[in-house]
Amino acid sequence: MTQDSPSSAAASAAPVRFSPRRVWTLAYATMTQLMRMKILPFLLVFCALVALIGVGGSSVVNPEQQLSSFKSMSLGVLQIFSIVFGIVATALLLPKDLEDRTLYTILSKPVPRFDYVLGKLLGVLMLIASGLVIIDAVLSLILWTQQSGLYDAYLFQLHQTKQDTPEAIAQVREIVARQGLTWNLHWAVWAIFLKASVVTTVALLLSCLASSTLFTIVITFCVTIIGHGEALIREFVFQPHLGSTTKRIATLVLAAICPDLAQFDIVDSVANGEIVPWAAVYDMTGIAALYMTVYLFITHLVFVEKEL
Amino acid sequence: MKRKLQAAAVMLIFGGLKLPLEQHVTHDLRAMRLVDEPLHMGVEGNMGQMGLAATFGGLRGLIATIFQLRAHVEFTRVNWAEVDKYYGFVTQLQPRVARYWEEASWHMAYNAASYYLYNEELKPALRGKLFHDYVQRGNDILKEGLRLMPDNPRLWQKLGDLHWNRSKDYKASGDAYLQSFKHGGLNFTERFAAYAYAQSNDPESWKKGYAILKRLYDENKATPGLIEFLKLLEKNLHIAPDMRIPDPDPAKQAPKPPTGPQR
Repeated sequence: MTQDSPSSAAASAAPVRFSPRRVWTLAYATMTQLMRMKILPFLLVFCALVALIGVGGSSVVNPEQQLSSFKSMSLGVLQIFSIVFGIVATALLLPKDLEDRTLYTILSKPVPRFDYVLGKLLGVLMLIASGLVIIDAVLSLILWTQQSGLYDAYLFQLHQTKQDTPEAIAQVREIVARQGLTWNLHWAVWAIFLKASVVTTVALLLSCLASSTLFTIVITFCVTIIGHGEALIREFVFQPHLGSTTKRIATLVLAAICPDLAQFDIVDSVANGEIVPWAAVYDMTGIAALYMTVYLFITHLVFVEKEL
Repeated sequence: MKRKLQAAAVMLIFGGLKLPLEQHVTHDLRAMRLVDEPLHMGVEGNMGQMGLAATFGGLRGLIATIFQLRAHVEFTRVNWAEVDKYYGFVTQLQPRVARYWEEASWHMAYNAASYYLYNEELKPALRGKLFHDYVQRGNDILKEGLRLMPDNPRLWQKLGDLHWNRSKDYKASGDAYLQSFKHGGLNFTERFAAYAYAQSNDPESWKKGYAILKRLYDENKATPGLIEFLKLLEKNLHIAPDMRIPDPDPAKQAPKPPTGPQR
Protein backbone atom coordinates (compact mmCIF):
# COMPACT_ATOMS: atom_id res chain seq x y z
CA MET A 1 0.00 0.00 0.00
CA THR A 2 1.44 3.32 -0.99
CA GLN A 3 0.83 6.53 0.78
CA ASP A 4 0.99 10.05 -0.66
CA SER A 5 3.55 12.31 0.87
CA PRO A 6 2.06 15.20 2.84
CA SER A 7 3.32 17.75 0.32
CA SER A 8 1.82 16.00 -2.73
CA ALA A 9 -1.49 15.47 -0.92
CA ALA A 10 -1.57 19.15 -0.08
CA ALA A 11 -0.79 20.01 -3.69
CA SER A 12 -3.60 17.82 -5.05
CA ALA A 13 -6.07 19.17 -2.50
CA ALA A 14 -5.21 22.83 -3.11
CA PRO A 15 -7.56 24.43 -5.61
CA VAL A 16 -5.91 25.66 -8.79
CA ARG A 17 -6.19 29.44 -8.80
CA PHE A 18 -7.18 31.68 -11.65
CA SER A 19 -4.14 32.77 -13.59
CA PRO A 20 -4.23 35.70 -16.05
CA ARG A 21 -1.02 34.42 -17.63
CA ARG A 22 -2.60 31.05 -18.34
CA VAL A 23 -5.67 32.75 -19.78
CA TRP A 24 -3.43 34.85 -22.00
CA THR A 25 -1.61 31.72 -23.24
CA LEU A 26 -4.94 30.09 -24.09
CA ALA A 27 -6.23 33.25 -25.76
CA TYR A 28 -3.08 33.59 -27.84
CA ALA A 29 -3.28 29.93 -28.87
CA THR A 30 -6.94 30.40 -29.85
CA MET A 31 -6.05 33.44 -31.90
CA THR A 32 -3.30 31.54 -33.68
CA GLN A 33 -5.68 28.65 -34.30
CA LEU A 34 -8.21 31.01 -35.88
CA MET A 35 -5.53 32.81 -37.90
CA ARG A 36 -4.72 29.48 -39.49
CA MET A 37 -8.32 29.39 -40.69
CA LYS A 38 -7.36 32.06 -43.28
CA ILE A 39 -9.01 35.00 -41.60
CA LEU A 40 -6.40 37.54 -42.71
CA PRO A 41 -6.88 37.01 -46.49
CA PHE A 42 -10.60 37.46 -45.90
CA LEU A 43 -9.89 40.75 -44.15
CA LEU A 44 -7.74 41.94 -47.03
CA VAL A 45 -10.49 41.10 -49.53
CA PHE A 46 -12.93 42.99 -47.35
CA CYS A 47 -10.67 46.06 -47.26
CA ALA A 48 -10.34 45.94 -51.04
CA LEU A 49 -14.13 45.78 -51.36
CA VAL A 50 -14.56 48.76 -49.08
CA ALA A 51 -12.04 50.69 -51.14
CA LEU A 52 -13.96 49.80 -54.31
CA ILE A 53 -17.23 50.97 -52.79
CA GLY A 54 -15.53 54.21 -51.81
CA VAL A 55 -14.25 54.85 -55.30
CA GLY A 56 -17.34 53.54 -57.13
CA GLY A 57 -19.82 55.59 -55.12
CA SER A 58 -19.18 58.75 -57.13
CA SER A 59 -22.37 58.36 -59.17
CA VAL A 60 -24.53 59.68 -56.38
CA VAL A 61 -25.94 63.17 -56.17
CA ASN A 62 -23.97 65.27 -53.65
CA PRO A 63 -20.99 65.01 -51.24
CA GLU A 64 -23.21 64.51 -48.22
CA GLN A 65 -24.96 61.59 -49.87
CA GLN A 66 -21.69 60.11 -51.05
CA LEU A 67 -19.92 60.29 -47.67
CA SER A 68 -22.98 59.10 -45.79
CA SER A 69 -23.58 56.18 -48.18
CA PHE A 70 -19.95 55.17 -47.92
CA LYS A 71 -20.02 55.15 -44.12
CA SER A 72 -23.37 53.42 -43.96
CA MET A 73 -22.33 50.74 -46.42
CA SER A 74 -18.91 50.01 -44.92
CA LEU A 75 -20.03 50.10 -41.28
CA GLY A 76 -22.95 47.82 -42.14
CA VAL A 77 -20.63 45.32 -43.81
CA LEU A 78 -18.30 45.57 -40.83
CA GLN A 79 -21.17 44.70 -38.54
CA ILE A 80 -22.07 41.62 -40.56
CA PHE A 81 -18.44 40.56 -40.67
CA SER A 82 -17.89 40.86 -36.92
CA ILE A 83 -21.12 39.12 -35.91
CA VAL A 84 -20.81 36.27 -38.41
CA PHE A 85 -17.17 35.78 -37.51
CA GLY A 86 -17.89 35.86 -33.77
CA ILE A 87 -20.67 33.30 -34.01
CA VAL A 88 -19.05 30.89 -36.44
CA ALA A 89 -15.56 30.99 -34.90
CA THR A 90 -16.92 30.44 -31.39
CA ALA A 91 -19.27 27.66 -32.49
CA LEU A 92 -16.34 25.86 -34.14
CA LEU A 93 -13.88 26.16 -31.26
CA LEU A 94 -15.17 23.64 -28.72
CA PRO A 95 -16.07 20.89 -31.22
CA LYS A 96 -12.68 21.37 -32.93
CA ASP A 97 -10.82 21.09 -29.62
CA LEU A 98 -12.80 17.94 -28.81
CA GLU A 99 -12.12 16.47 -32.24
CA ASP A 100 -8.40 17.27 -32.07
CA ARG A 101 -8.27 16.05 -28.45
CA THR A 102 -6.65 19.38 -27.53
CA LEU A 103 -9.33 19.91 -24.92
CA TYR A 104 -8.36 16.74 -23.04
CA THR A 105 -4.68 17.66 -23.19
CA ILE A 106 -5.39 21.08 -21.72
CA LEU A 107 -7.86 20.01 -19.06
CA SER A 108 -5.74 17.05 -17.91
CA LYS A 109 -3.25 19.67 -16.71
CA PRO A 110 -4.09 21.84 -13.70
CA VAL A 111 -6.10 24.27 -15.80
CA PRO A 112 -9.43 25.36 -14.35
CA ARG A 113 -12.29 25.11 -16.80
CA PHE A 114 -13.05 28.79 -16.26
CA ASP A 115 -9.58 29.74 -17.47
CA TYR A 116 -10.13 27.62 -20.56
CA VAL A 117 -13.51 29.22 -21.37
CA LEU A 118 -12.22 32.73 -20.72
CA GLY A 119 -9.11 32.10 -22.82
CA LYS A 120 -11.21 30.90 -25.75
CA LEU A 121 -13.50 33.92 -25.53
CA LEU A 122 -10.61 36.37 -25.30
CA GLY A 123 -8.90 34.72 -28.27
CA VAL A 124 -11.95 35.25 -30.49
CA LEU A 125 -12.45 38.80 -29.23
CA MET A 126 -8.80 39.68 -29.79
CA LEU A 127 -9.03 38.56 -33.38
CA ILE A 128 -12.27 40.49 -33.97
CA ALA A 129 -10.68 43.56 -32.36
CA SER A 130 -7.56 43.27 -34.52
CA GLY A 131 -9.69 42.96 -37.65
CA LEU A 132 -11.79 45.96 -36.70
CA VAL A 133 -8.70 48.08 -35.95
CA ILE A 134 -7.23 47.28 -39.37
CA ILE A 135 -10.49 48.03 -41.18
CA ASP A 136 -11.09 51.17 -39.13
CA ALA A 137 -7.70 52.47 -40.23
CA VAL A 138 -8.47 51.72 -43.88
CA LEU A 139 -11.94 53.31 -43.62
CA SER A 140 -10.52 56.42 -41.99
CA LEU A 141 -7.94 56.81 -44.71
CA ILE A 142 -10.49 56.45 -47.51
CA LEU A 143 -12.94 58.80 -45.82
CA TRP A 144 -10.28 61.44 -45.24
CA THR A 145 -9.16 61.27 -48.88
CA GLN A 146 -12.75 61.42 -50.15
CA GLN A 147 -13.71 64.26 -47.87
CA SER A 148 -11.06 66.69 -49.08
CA GLY A 149 -11.57 65.73 -52.73
CA LEU A 150 -15.34 66.12 -52.52
CA TYR A 151 -15.14 69.49 -50.80
CA ASP A 152 -12.92 70.90 -53.54
CA ALA A 153 -15.04 69.38 -56.31
CA TYR A 154 -18.28 70.73 -54.87
CA LEU A 155 -16.85 74.21 -54.39
CA PHE A 156 -15.67 74.16 -58.00
CA GLN A 157 -19.18 73.11 -59.08
CA LEU A 158 -20.75 75.92 -57.04
CA HIS A 159 -18.30 78.39 -58.54
CA GLN A 160 -19.09 77.27 -62.07
CA THR A 161 -22.85 77.64 -61.54
CA LYS A 162 -22.22 81.02 -59.78
CA GLN A 163 -23.85 79.80 -56.59
CA ASP A 164 -20.74 80.13 -54.42
CA THR A 165 -22.29 82.50 -51.91
CA PRO A 166 -20.63 82.58 -48.45
CA GLU A 167 -23.74 80.91 -47.00
CA ALA A 168 -23.65 78.08 -49.54
CA ILE A 169 -19.90 77.54 -48.98
CA ALA A 170 -20.38 77.55 -45.19
CA GLN A 171 -23.17 75.01 -45.54
CA VAL A 172 -21.04 72.70 -47.71
CA ARG A 173 -18.12 73.03 -45.28
CA GLU A 174 -20.38 72.18 -42.35
CA ILE A 175 -21.89 69.17 -44.16
CA VAL A 176 -18.53 67.78 -45.25
CA ALA A 177 -17.05 68.30 -41.77
CA ARG A 178 -19.98 66.51 -40.13
CA GLN A 179 -20.07 63.64 -42.61
CA GLY A 180 -16.31 63.29 -42.99
CA LEU A 181 -13.73 61.70 -40.72
CA THR A 182 -14.51 62.36 -37.05
CA TRP A 183 -14.16 60.49 -33.77
CA ASN A 184 -17.74 59.37 -34.23
CA LEU A 185 -16.63 56.88 -36.86
CA HIS A 186 -14.33 55.20 -34.32
CA TRP A 187 -17.12 55.13 -31.72
CA ALA A 188 -19.33 53.41 -34.28
CA VAL A 189 -16.62 50.78 -34.78
CA TRP A 190 -16.36 50.45 -30.98
CA ALA A 191 -20.15 49.90 -30.78
CA ILE A 192 -19.82 47.22 -33.48
CA PHE A 193 -17.10 45.53 -31.41
CA LEU A 194 -19.25 45.64 -28.27
CA LYS A 195 -22.18 44.09 -30.08
CA ALA A 196 -19.98 41.38 -31.59
CA SER A 197 -18.50 40.69 -28.12
CA VAL A 198 -21.93 40.18 -26.57
CA VAL A 199 -23.02 37.92 -29.44
CA THR A 200 -19.76 35.95 -29.18
CA THR A 201 -20.30 35.41 -25.44
CA VAL A 202 -23.84 34.17 -26.14
CA ALA A 203 -22.42 31.83 -28.80
CA LEU A 204 -19.92 30.46 -26.28
CA LEU A 205 -22.69 29.83 -23.76
CA LEU A 206 -24.80 28.03 -26.36
CA SER A 207 -21.77 26.13 -27.57
CA CYS A 208 -21.35 24.67 -24.06
CA LEU A 209 -24.99 23.63 -24.01
CA ALA A 210 -25.24 22.37 -27.58
CA SER A 211 -24.39 19.04 -29.03
CA SER A 212 -23.57 20.28 -32.54
CA THR A 213 -21.94 23.28 -34.25
CA LEU A 214 -24.97 23.81 -36.48
CA PHE A 215 -27.26 24.06 -33.46
CA THR A 216 -25.01 26.71 -31.88
CA ILE A 217 -24.84 28.75 -35.08
CA VAL A 218 -28.57 28.63 -35.81
CA ILE A 219 -29.70 29.38 -32.25
CA THR A 220 -27.16 32.20 -31.83
CA PHE A 221 -28.39 33.80 -35.05
CA CYS A 222 -31.96 33.51 -33.74
CA VAL A 223 -30.93 35.16 -30.45
CA THR A 224 -29.16 37.90 -32.43
CA ILE A 225 -32.26 38.63 -34.50
CA ILE A 226 -34.54 38.60 -31.44
CA GLY A 227 -31.97 40.71 -29.59
CA HIS A 228 -32.39 43.47 -32.16
CA GLY A 229 -36.13 43.54 -31.47
CA GLU A 230 -35.79 43.04 -27.70
CA ALA A 231 -36.62 46.71 -27.01
CA LEU A 232 -39.99 46.22 -28.64
CA ILE A 233 -40.61 43.01 -26.67
CA ARG A 234 -39.63 44.82 -23.47
CA GLU A 235 -41.96 47.69 -24.17
CA PHE A 236 -44.76 45.14 -24.59
CA VAL A 237 -43.88 43.73 -21.13
CA PHE A 238 -44.07 47.19 -19.57
CA GLN A 239 -47.52 47.91 -21.06
CA PRO A 240 -49.94 46.51 -18.46
CA HIS A 241 -53.06 46.64 -20.66
CA LEU A 242 -51.67 44.63 -23.59
CA GLY A 243 -52.03 40.87 -24.11
CA SER A 244 -53.08 37.94 -21.93
CA THR A 245 -51.12 36.70 -18.91
CA THR A 246 -49.69 33.73 -20.81
CA LYS A 247 -48.49 35.98 -23.61
CA ARG A 248 -46.97 38.38 -21.13
CA ILE A 249 -45.10 35.60 -19.29
CA ALA A 250 -43.77 34.19 -22.57
CA THR A 251 -42.69 37.68 -23.64
CA LEU A 252 -41.05 38.33 -20.28
CA VAL A 253 -39.03 35.10 -20.53
CA LEU A 254 -37.94 35.97 -24.07
CA ALA A 255 -36.94 39.50 -23.04
CA ALA A 256 -35.10 38.10 -20.00
CA ILE A 257 -33.07 35.58 -22.02
CA CYS A 258 -32.04 37.79 -24.95
CA PRO A 259 -29.67 40.74 -24.68
CA ASP A 260 -30.86 44.06 -26.13
CA LEU A 261 -28.56 44.42 -29.12
CA ALA A 262 -30.34 47.49 -30.47
CA GLN A 263 -28.53 49.49 -27.77
CA PHE A 264 -25.37 49.22 -29.85
CA ASP A 265 -27.07 50.31 -33.09
CA ILE A 266 -25.54 53.76 -33.36
CA VAL A 267 -24.08 53.04 -36.79
CA ASP A 268 -27.01 54.59 -38.69
CA SER A 269 -26.90 57.74 -36.60
CA VAL A 270 -23.13 58.06 -37.06
CA ALA A 271 -23.51 57.54 -40.82
CA ASN A 272 -26.02 60.39 -40.80
CA GLY A 273 -23.66 62.75 -38.98
CA GLU A 274 -24.93 62.55 -35.37
CA ILE A 275 -22.37 63.21 -32.63
CA VAL A 276 -21.65 60.44 -30.12
CA PRO A 277 -21.25 61.90 -26.61
CA TRP A 278 -19.07 60.28 -23.94
CA ALA A 279 -22.16 59.37 -21.92
CA ALA A 280 -23.34 57.13 -24.77
CA VAL A 281 -19.94 55.41 -24.94
CA TYR A 282 -20.04 54.76 -21.16
CA ASP A 283 -23.61 53.46 -21.36
CA MET A 284 -22.86 51.05 -24.20
CA THR A 285 -19.57 49.85 -22.73
CA GLY A 286 -21.09 49.36 -19.29
CA ILE A 287 -24.07 47.36 -20.47
CA ALA A 288 -21.89 45.23 -22.76
CA ALA A 289 -19.52 44.49 -19.86
CA LEU A 290 -22.48 43.49 -17.70
CA TYR A 291 -23.91 41.14 -20.34
CA MET A 292 -20.53 39.55 -20.91
CA THR A 293 -19.78 39.06 -17.21
CA VAL A 294 -23.12 37.42 -16.48
CA TYR A 295 -23.19 35.26 -19.63
CA LEU A 296 -19.61 34.18 -18.98
CA PHE A 297 -20.52 33.23 -15.40
CA ILE A 298 -23.47 31.19 -16.69
CA THR A 299 -21.16 29.58 -19.28
CA HIS A 300 -18.81 28.63 -16.45
CA LEU A 301 -21.67 27.05 -14.48
CA VAL A 302 -22.67 25.00 -17.53
CA PHE A 303 -19.17 24.07 -18.67
CA VAL A 304 -17.86 23.08 -15.25
CA GLU A 305 -20.39 20.27 -15.09
CA LYS A 306 -20.21 19.28 -18.76
CA GLU A 307 -19.23 15.68 -19.46
CA LEU A 308 -16.48 15.70 -22.05
CA MET B 1 -27.47 19.03 -12.90
CA LYS B 2 -27.19 21.25 -9.88
CA ARG B 3 -24.99 23.70 -11.76
CA LYS B 4 -27.33 23.77 -14.73
CA LEU B 5 -30.21 24.68 -12.46
CA GLN B 6 -28.06 27.37 -10.92
CA ALA B 7 -27.25 28.62 -14.42
CA ALA B 8 -30.96 28.77 -15.33
CA ALA B 9 -31.74 30.61 -12.11
CA VAL B 10 -28.97 33.15 -12.69
CA MET B 11 -30.17 33.67 -16.26
CA LEU B 12 -33.75 34.34 -15.17
CA ILE B 13 -32.83 36.55 -12.22
CA PHE B 14 -30.41 38.57 -14.32
CA GLY B 15 -33.00 38.71 -17.09
CA GLY B 16 -35.55 40.21 -14.74
CA LEU B 17 -33.08 42.70 -13.28
CA LYS B 18 -31.64 43.81 -16.59
CA LEU B 19 -34.96 44.96 -18.07
CA PRO B 20 -35.23 48.28 -16.17
CA LEU B 21 -31.53 48.92 -16.81
CA GLU B 22 -31.95 48.30 -20.54
CA GLN B 23 -34.99 50.55 -20.54
CA HIS B 24 -32.91 53.30 -18.91
CA VAL B 25 -29.97 52.96 -21.33
CA THR B 26 -32.29 52.86 -24.34
CA HIS B 27 -34.04 56.00 -23.07
CA ASP B 28 -30.69 57.78 -22.69
CA LEU B 29 -29.50 56.77 -26.15
CA ARG B 30 -32.79 57.89 -27.68
CA ALA B 31 -32.48 61.23 -25.90
CA MET B 32 -29.03 61.60 -27.49
CA ARG B 33 -30.63 60.82 -30.90
CA LEU B 34 -28.35 57.82 -31.39
CA VAL B 35 -31.01 55.13 -31.32
CA ASP B 36 -34.33 55.57 -33.14
CA GLU B 37 -37.45 56.19 -31.12
CA PRO B 38 -40.54 54.22 -32.03
CA LEU B 39 -42.45 56.29 -34.56
CA HIS B 40 -46.09 57.28 -34.25
CA MET B 41 -47.21 55.81 -37.54
CA GLY B 42 -50.48 54.19 -36.50
CA VAL B 43 -50.90 50.50 -35.74
CA GLU B 44 -50.09 49.25 -39.23
CA GLY B 45 -47.08 51.52 -39.55
CA ASN B 46 -45.77 50.59 -36.12
CA MET B 47 -46.13 46.90 -36.89
CA GLY B 48 -44.13 47.49 -40.06
CA GLN B 49 -41.46 49.32 -38.10
CA MET B 50 -41.36 46.52 -35.50
CA GLY B 51 -40.94 43.94 -38.23
CA LEU B 52 -38.20 45.95 -39.89
CA ALA B 53 -36.40 46.60 -36.62
CA ALA B 54 -36.52 42.97 -35.59
CA THR B 55 -35.71 41.57 -39.02
CA PHE B 56 -32.87 43.82 -40.07
CA GLY B 57 -31.62 44.89 -36.69
CA GLY B 58 -28.64 47.17 -37.05
CA LEU B 59 -28.47 46.70 -40.79
CA ARG B 60 -31.30 49.02 -41.75
CA GLY B 61 -28.83 51.75 -42.73
CA LEU B 62 -26.96 49.36 -44.98
CA ILE B 63 -30.13 48.10 -46.63
CA ALA B 64 -31.43 51.65 -47.07
CA THR B 65 -28.16 52.59 -48.78
CA ILE B 66 -28.44 49.64 -51.13
CA PHE B 67 -32.01 50.63 -52.04
CA GLN B 68 -30.86 54.21 -52.53
CA LEU B 69 -28.20 53.08 -54.98
CA ARG B 70 -30.83 50.96 -56.71
CA ALA B 71 -33.03 54.05 -56.95
CA HIS B 72 -30.10 55.93 -58.47
CA VAL B 73 -29.76 53.26 -61.15
CA GLU B 74 -33.47 53.64 -61.95
CA PHE B 75 -33.01 57.43 -62.01
CA THR B 76 -30.35 57.05 -64.71
CA ARG B 77 -32.86 54.91 -66.63
CA VAL B 78 -35.53 57.61 -66.10
CA ASN B 79 -37.84 55.02 -64.59
CA TRP B 80 -39.69 57.29 -62.18
CA ALA B 81 -42.12 54.74 -60.76
CA GLU B 82 -39.19 52.56 -59.69
CA VAL B 83 -37.34 55.57 -58.24
CA ASP B 84 -40.42 56.39 -56.18
CA LYS B 85 -40.79 52.77 -55.08
CA TYR B 86 -37.18 52.40 -53.96
CA TYR B 87 -37.20 55.72 -52.13
CA GLY B 88 -40.40 54.50 -50.43
CA PHE B 89 -38.39 51.58 -49.05
CA VAL B 90 -35.52 53.85 -48.09
CA THR B 91 -37.71 56.28 -46.16
CA GLN B 92 -39.51 53.42 -44.44
CA LEU B 93 -36.20 51.91 -43.36
CA GLN B 94 -34.72 55.22 -42.22
CA PRO B 95 -37.68 57.48 -41.46
CA ARG B 96 -35.63 59.75 -39.20
CA VAL B 97 -33.11 60.71 -41.87
CA ALA B 98 -34.27 63.99 -43.41
CA ARG B 99 -31.86 63.64 -46.33
CA TYR B 100 -33.75 60.64 -47.71
CA TRP B 101 -37.10 62.46 -47.63
CA GLU B 102 -35.45 65.45 -49.30
CA GLU B 103 -33.91 63.34 -52.06
CA ALA B 104 -37.11 61.38 -52.67
CA SER B 105 -39.06 64.62 -53.00
CA TRP B 106 -36.39 66.21 -55.23
CA HIS B 107 -36.48 63.28 -57.65
CA MET B 108 -40.26 63.50 -57.96
CA ALA B 109 -40.92 67.24 -57.89
CA TYR B 110 -37.93 68.33 -59.96
CA ASN B 111 -36.48 65.50 -62.03
CA ALA B 112 -39.61 63.50 -62.84
CA ALA B 113 -41.84 66.57 -63.18
CA SER B 114 -39.36 68.30 -65.55
CA TYR B 115 -38.89 65.11 -67.53
CA TYR B 116 -42.60 64.98 -68.33
CA LEU B 117 -42.94 68.74 -68.82
CA TYR B 118 -40.29 68.73 -71.57
CA ASN B 119 -41.20 65.38 -73.10
CA GLU B 120 -42.32 66.29 -76.61
CA GLU B 121 -43.61 62.82 -77.33
CA LEU B 122 -46.52 63.49 -75.00
CA LYS B 123 -49.59 65.61 -75.70
CA PRO B 124 -49.40 69.07 -74.05
CA ALA B 125 -52.36 68.42 -71.74
CA LEU B 126 -50.83 65.19 -70.52
CA ARG B 127 -47.45 66.84 -70.02
CA GLY B 128 -49.03 69.47 -67.82
CA LYS B 129 -50.99 66.92 -65.85
CA LEU B 130 -47.98 64.69 -65.25
CA PHE B 131 -45.91 67.70 -64.26
CA HIS B 132 -48.46 68.70 -61.65
CA ASP B 133 -48.88 65.11 -60.43
CA TYR B 134 -45.17 64.68 -59.83
CA VAL B 135 -44.81 68.08 -58.17
CA GLN B 136 -47.67 67.07 -55.90
CA ARG B 137 -45.95 63.74 -55.21
CA GLY B 138 -42.78 65.58 -54.16
CA ASN B 139 -44.88 67.83 -51.96
CA ASP B 140 -46.60 64.81 -50.35
CA ILE B 141 -43.24 63.14 -49.64
CA LEU B 142 -41.94 66.23 -47.84
CA LYS B 143 -45.16 66.54 -45.86
CA GLU B 144 -44.94 62.88 -44.84
CA GLY B 145 -41.36 63.48 -43.66
CA LEU B 146 -42.49 66.58 -41.78
CA ARG B 147 -45.28 64.62 -40.10
CA LEU B 148 -42.56 62.43 -38.56
CA MET B 149 -40.08 65.27 -37.95
CA PRO B 150 -42.11 68.47 -37.57
CA ASP B 151 -39.14 70.37 -36.15
CA ASN B 152 -36.72 69.66 -38.99
CA PRO B 153 -35.61 73.01 -40.53
CA ARG B 154 -34.12 71.36 -43.59
CA LEU B 155 -37.37 69.71 -44.66
CA TRP B 156 -39.29 72.96 -44.09
CA GLN B 157 -36.73 74.80 -46.23
CA LYS B 158 -37.09 72.23 -49.03
CA LEU B 159 -40.88 72.58 -48.85
CA GLY B 160 -40.45 76.33 -49.19
CA ASP B 161 -38.17 75.81 -52.22
CA LEU B 162 -40.67 73.44 -53.78
CA HIS B 163 -43.60 75.85 -53.42
CA TRP B 164 -41.46 78.71 -54.73
CA ASN B 165 -39.90 76.93 -57.71
CA ARG B 166 -42.50 74.40 -58.72
CA SER B 167 -46.03 75.04 -57.55
CA LYS B 168 -45.57 78.85 -57.40
CA ASP B 169 -47.63 78.98 -54.24
CA TYR B 170 -45.76 81.86 -52.66
CA LYS B 171 -47.87 82.10 -49.52
CA ALA B 172 -47.25 78.41 -48.74
CA SER B 173 -43.59 78.92 -49.61
CA GLY B 174 -43.30 81.84 -47.19
CA ASP B 175 -45.00 79.85 -44.43
CA ALA B 176 -42.63 76.92 -44.98
CA TYR B 177 -39.50 79.13 -44.98
CA LEU B 178 -40.70 80.83 -41.82
CA GLN B 179 -41.21 77.44 -40.15
CA SER B 180 -37.68 76.51 -41.18
CA PHE B 181 -36.32 79.67 -39.58
CA LYS B 182 -38.36 79.14 -36.41
CA HIS B 183 -36.95 75.61 -36.08
CA GLY B 184 -33.33 76.70 -36.33
CA GLY B 185 -32.92 77.08 -40.10
CA LEU B 186 -30.23 79.31 -41.56
CA ASN B 187 -30.76 83.09 -41.48
CA PHE B 188 -31.55 83.37 -45.17
CA THR B 189 -34.74 81.31 -44.68
CA GLU B 190 -36.33 84.23 -42.83
CA ARG B 191 -35.42 86.59 -45.66
CA PHE B 192 -36.69 84.11 -48.23
CA ALA B 193 -39.96 83.84 -46.31
CA ALA B 194 -40.43 87.57 -46.68
CA TYR B 195 -39.54 87.46 -50.41
CA ALA B 196 -42.10 84.72 -50.91
CA TYR B 197 -44.77 86.64 -49.01
CA ALA B 198 -43.99 89.69 -51.14
CA GLN B 199 -44.82 87.72 -54.30
CA SER B 200 -48.06 86.23 -53.02
CA ASN B 201 -51.55 87.62 -53.74
CA ASP B 202 -52.49 87.79 -50.10
CA PRO B 203 -52.41 91.23 -48.38
CA GLU B 204 -52.00 89.59 -44.96
CA SER B 205 -48.88 87.85 -46.21
CA TRP B 206 -47.57 91.16 -47.59
CA LYS B 207 -47.85 92.61 -44.09
CA LYS B 208 -45.91 89.70 -42.62
CA GLY B 209 -43.26 90.01 -45.31
CA TYR B 210 -43.00 93.76 -44.83
CA ALA B 211 -42.57 93.38 -41.06
CA ILE B 212 -39.67 90.96 -41.57
CA LEU B 213 -37.91 92.96 -44.28
CA LYS B 214 -38.31 96.29 -42.48
CA ARG B 215 -36.85 94.81 -39.32
CA LEU B 216 -33.89 93.36 -41.22
CA TYR B 217 -33.42 96.70 -43.00
CA ASP B 218 -33.43 98.54 -39.67
CA GLU B 219 -30.84 96.06 -38.39
CA ASN B 220 -28.57 97.04 -41.33
CA LYS B 221 -28.92 93.64 -42.96
CA ALA B 222 -30.14 95.00 -46.28
CA THR B 223 -29.16 93.31 -49.53
CA PRO B 224 -30.14 94.44 -53.06
CA GLY B 225 -32.83 91.73 -53.10
CA LEU B 226 -34.17 92.81 -49.76
CA ILE B 227 -34.43 96.45 -50.88
CA GLU B 228 -36.18 95.43 -54.10
CA PHE B 229 -38.83 93.38 -52.30
CA LEU B 230 -39.21 95.94 -49.54
CA LYS B 231 -39.92 98.64 -52.10
CA LEU B 232 -42.42 96.34 -53.83
CA LEU B 233 -44.23 95.77 -50.53
CA GLU B 234 -44.22 99.50 -49.74
CA LYS B 235 -46.07 100.08 -53.00
CA ASN B 236 -48.49 97.19 -52.49
CA LEU B 237 -49.27 98.14 -48.92
CA HIS B 238 -49.50 101.87 -49.73
CA ILE B 239 -46.99 102.82 -47.08
CA ALA B 240 -46.88 106.59 -46.50
CA PRO B 241 -43.99 108.23 -48.42
CA ASP B 242 -42.30 109.50 -45.26
CA MET B 243 -42.29 105.98 -43.84
CA ARG B 244 -40.65 104.47 -46.90
CA ILE B 245 -36.98 103.62 -47.08
CA PRO B 246 -34.82 106.27 -48.75
CA ASP B 247 -32.86 103.83 -50.95
CA PRO B 248 -33.33 104.06 -54.70
CA ASP B 249 -34.75 101.11 -56.58
CA PRO B 250 -31.96 98.65 -57.31
CA ALA B 251 -30.91 98.66 -60.96
CA LYS B 252 -33.02 96.14 -62.83
CA GLN B 253 -31.10 93.60 -64.82
CA ALA B 254 -32.67 92.02 -67.83
CA PRO B 255 -33.44 88.39 -66.95
CA LYS B 256 -31.28 85.94 -68.81
CA PRO B 257 -33.14 83.40 -70.90
CA PRO B 258 -33.29 79.98 -69.26
CA THR B 259 -30.52 77.75 -70.55
CA GLY B 260 -32.13 74.39 -70.01
CA PRO B 261 -34.93 72.55 -68.30
CA GLN B 262 -36.21 74.33 -65.24
CA ARG B 263 -34.92 72.58 -62.14
